[in-house]
Amino acid sequence: MEELDPTQYYNNRLASLASLPTSPYSQMFRVSMTFDHYREKFKGLSNGERLAETTVSLAGRVMSKRASGSKLVFYSLESAEGTIQAVSDARSLVGGNFAAVHANIKRGDVVGVSGNPGMSNRGELSIFVKEIILLAPCLYMLPKGGKNRDEQATWRPGKPRNPNAYVLKEQETRYRLRFLDIIVNPEVKFVLETAHSAVNYIRSFLDQRGFREVETAILNSKAGGAAARPFNTHHDASEMDMSLRIAPELQLKQLLVAGYNGVYEVDKQFRNEGMDLTHNPEFTTCEFYSAYSDYHDLMTMTEELLSGLVKKITGGYTVSYHSNGYDSPPVEIDFTPPFRRIEMVNGLEDTMGIELPKDLASEEANEFLKKTCEARGVYCAPPLTTSRLLDKLVGHYLEETCVNPAFIIDHPLIMSPLAKQHRSKPGLTERFELFVNKHELVNAYTELNNPVEQRDRFVQQLKDRQGGDDEAMVLDEDFVKAMEYGLPPCAGWGMGIDRLVMLLTDSLNIKEVLLCPAMKPPEAVPPPNEKGTPQA
Amino acid sequence: MAMASPSCSVRILTGVWRDRSGRFSRKVRRIPHCFSSSASTASSTEVSRISRISKNAGDAGEDSALASGRDVRGLRLKKVEEMRGLGIEPYAYSWNRTHKATQLQEKYADLPAGGVADSDEDRVSVAGRIFARRAFGKLAFLGIRDDSASIQLYCDKAKLESFTQLKSTVDIGDIVGATGTLKRTEKGELSVYVDNLVILTKSILPLPEKWHGLTDIEKRYRQRYLDMIMNPEVAGVFRARAKVVSVIRRFVEDLGFLEIETPILQGAAGGADARPFITHHNSLERDLFLRIATELHLKRMLVGGFERVYELGRIFRNEGISTRHNPEFTSIEIYQAYADYNDMMALAEELVTKCAEAIFGNAKLLYQGTDISLERPWKRASMQSLVQEATGIDFSAFGSDLSAAKSAALSALSPRKDESLQTVIANCATVGNVLNEVHSYFLRLRRFVNVMMSVAQVFEAVVEKTLIQPTFVTNHPVEVSPLAKAHRSFPGLVERFELYICGRELANAFSELTDPIEQRARFEAQIRAHNKQLEEAAAAARDRGESAVKQHKNDSYEVTLDEDFLTALEYGMPPTAGMGIGIDRLVMLLTDSPSIRDVIAFPVLKSQQ
Repeated sequence: MEELDPTQYYNNRLASLASLPTSPYSQMFRVSMTFDHYREKFKGLSNGERLAETTVSLAGRVMSKRASGSKLVFYSLESAEGTIQAVSDARSLVGGNFAAVHANIKRGDVVGVSGNPGMSNRGELSIFVKEIILLAPCLYMLPKGGKNRDEQATWRPGKPRNPNAYVLKEQETRYRLRFLDIIVNPEVKFVLETAHSAVNYIRSFLDQRGFREVETAILNSKAGGAAARPFNTHHDASEMDMSLRIAPELQLKQLLVAGYNGVYEVDKQFRNEGMDLTHNPEFTTCEFYSAYSDYHDLMTMTEELLSGLVKKITGGYTVSYHSNGYDSPPVEIDFTPPFRRIEMVNGLEDTMGIELPKDLASEEANEFLKKTCEARGVYCAPPLTTSRLLDKLVGHYLEETCVNPAFIIDHPLIMSPLAKQHRSKPGLTERFELFVNKHELVNAYTELNNPVEQRDRFVQQLKDRQGGDDEAMVLDEDFVKAMEYGLPPCAGWGMGIDRLVMLLTDSLNIKEVLLCPAMKPPEAVPPPNEKGTPQA
Repeated sequence: MAMASPSCSVRILTGVWRDRSGRFSRKVRRIPHCFSSSASTASSTEVSRISRISKNAGDAGEDSALASGRDVRGLRLKKVEEMRGLGIEPYAYSWNRTHKATQLQEKYADLPAGGVADSDEDRVSVAGRIFARRAFGKLAFLGIRDDSASIQLYCDKAKLESFTQLKSTVDIGDIVGATGTLKRTEKGELSVYVDNLVILTKSILPLPEKWHGLTDIEKRYRQRYLDMIMNPEVAGVFRARAKVVSVIRRFVEDLGFLEIETPILQGAAGGADARPFITHHNSLERDLFLRIATELHLKRMLVGGFERVYELGRIFRNEGISTRHNPEFTSIEIYQAYADYNDMMALAEELVTKCAEAIFGNAKLLYQGTDISLERPWKRASMQSLVQEATGIDFSAFGSDLSAAKSAALSALSPRKDESLQTVIANCATVGNVLNEVHSYFLRLRRFVNVMMSVAQVFEAVVEKTLIQPTFVTNHPVEVSPLAKAHRSFPGLVERFELYICGRELANAFSELTDPIEQRARFEAQIRAHNKQLEEAAAAARDRGESAVKQHKNDSYEVTLDEDFLTALEYGMPPTAGMGIGIDRLVMLLTDSPSIRDVIAFPVLKSQQ
């Protein structure tokens, strides 16, 4: 069939549009109401009823076009608020020859219609067209078929979904031409909206508790506050090398020194690392810092925030998640508070049936952990620092048990260079990480605010760096100096927003929840054909 | 440099400080090691006559007139050790605060001078940094400040058991927590009548005696936290900033706009003509650019079917630092389907006015000594008419007669003896470019009016007053507006406006170009013009004898065609209007701040030698 060749379709369309007397790209079209408003206002009409005295203007994209004989055409118009049927019959159409007007409108085009509200005989709310205007033609064939659009359009956060059933499933095309993904796969729109609702919920949760949102610098002369490889760049005018921030922590704490009692920032962080199902080089976090609070307070806040957010967005406390792939049944993750708490050291000892050395900073402890990992077959990539070995064991024995939200708490001091030492357990810190579906979602602690000790901790990190751990933190003199002016007792908290949205939208790949995930250098992505498969 | 004028900062204080009602979590916490005290009744005889202002070394162990900062640091570190020796932790774990200072000021507004409120309900707990300290024998007064306001701690030896010991350990700059009842002094100062005082964080470095804000601006920006501690009005500027951002978000959300996070790291930097920051992704083995605008990605969302989207976030341009430019800055871009640039003008008026009302309570403001009225409607004038007013040249009369436009522009500007401008005009490729250069010349002139008083006189008389009060400059030439839709009535112009207040561009908006064929042609023309400029600059550099390599490094950046964006347009974008607003400049205006660095908490600074 001629129309199945995309290049030819494109060329034919351009040629036919060029023959029109005026530009097919309309200057302006004013809609008189949104689809939601329209449905709300006219849902009470009875079957077959039509309001001949009322004229409204609507606009949307033509997702299907069906002719019934030569005098009647049905369009399905789609906007951000779903679908409304437009019915055009030869008698009602004003301006132009019926056949010619409709010949110019193809599936995929953006059109504006004005006409009378009415209910079809079959009970479908419609607009009976008096005038239909091409606003922006679509020069390509839209992919057709696949998973039922109605089913997709009624998907809600917390419910399972299956992108493998989409009409357009090829990931390279979906992510690079995200607009097309949204046009043909309606669920994607809800995924992006869920990200927005989650961020809005977090903002208002913190605003209500007196926190202020601030913007700290993304470009810095050095990248601190976390252990990660930064992106480097260069500011030409001042001939200065700069790094993109890997965490906002050190600047946010400076604002507590400045006198803020509660601050937060929801924004991007950047880490120059490999990409996988849960890592993208730029990602969104929320960090907040609360003066005079400790990590116990923040555990309570975490439970309130997450359970409240899940309830608000999904209607309940549980979300369905395809932990084991879309081919296996989804698991239920239960956010009902309180969340389980696991003391890291005791937890490891109990689970593994071992006793860890009391002084984890010692050489003996390092030897012990190396042997333990080897004996248990837990692989750790060098350098084999005590901190990294412990992290591997925790990942293997504790995190694996955390499907429902669980706090792993009281990390050894050597793993937590910015956390305050535990008030009653020597060698440990007042820290927690929240794990959900075996992945870290939140990291928080009572903040170390003793500048002398902070400097010592950085020095220890420096030793780890010299020992080959290039992810150990670098000393930030400016930060320690700020602390010498007095950082109030405080607790700080960070959460990965993208990972949270993945859980809420049953997304197994972080790319699913990002508008434009980082991709390999583009080899031009051709628009897909009508079946949704990439062109040759 | 002058900071916020007094009248303005007062307005900020009342506008922003007062609306805070937020409280932090209040459940019972373990109280750290503290100076406990039996809440014994104070003997009235102890509130004796103040004999002298005691400021000797015995009080604080330091005489700031003699001790340098480093010495004080040593003394205070010694105090830390002494406290530990007494079993007192100088870095507490938490503090159970019941009230912020403003909450107490409001709650006890009616307490008369000399009055006390000491029932069980009047037991309060506060925390903050000590900024003032006076000790008189058996009495001491500490002024503490939290992020709402300040309040006095009334320490009476009779009521506070650890009084003597505290006198020797507490310094200005320390962060303390205190509990007690309320009392208003005879002088009318509301105070917490303290029965328990704890050092929560011992400060090691002394606060500066005087903050050298006036002389050492760099230091203020480099140690922003000190700037905020020492100058409450600086903290007020950032409170205002948070408020503006939150008002804008709420305003657009209420109108049904959805915030979309577009990527900062991009394979190509498009949507504006600016030099981008370049970085490298190791595992992708690929150079990436920091975004210079959010436009092209947000417009894709309109193609996807969203009808109202926005993004409020950081933009990066690899350009010089000045009072108006920071390499990273915050903007909001807003796109609305089925709207045009007239709708955006209404939106801009409403948005800016809402922000001003949130800060000042009305639509008037004072910026650097100039009264600005945001009363609507704001002046609308086409770029052509403004230039005609200023120069007498009617650019619409030239049609496409480039040489006539150039000679008219050059003769009108000849008294101004600006050689570079004359070169720029001589090099213009179209009548539209000439118009644009003349227009921007006058705007630049306005900013340097003090040093160019003589040349600016004509300008001041005509154009200045039109662009100080809010003015929409409309209908730009198509050559300088590659993403805007052709004007429906005026050939060669586009449906666009820039909003100027106080001679500064605050917003830029247009009816968006939706035709993919024309968009491609515009991009190609833009790239040709950009490359031509590069070649000319390179040739000029060669003439000066500079190496081509250096030239390339300094002045060149690539403008590329965003094919994916063009593909998106080919799928059809509804008629749309879009607008970008510079948040930092808006905050500057609303906080009477002369420099962009006054409104960015951590501005980019040259590396310290």
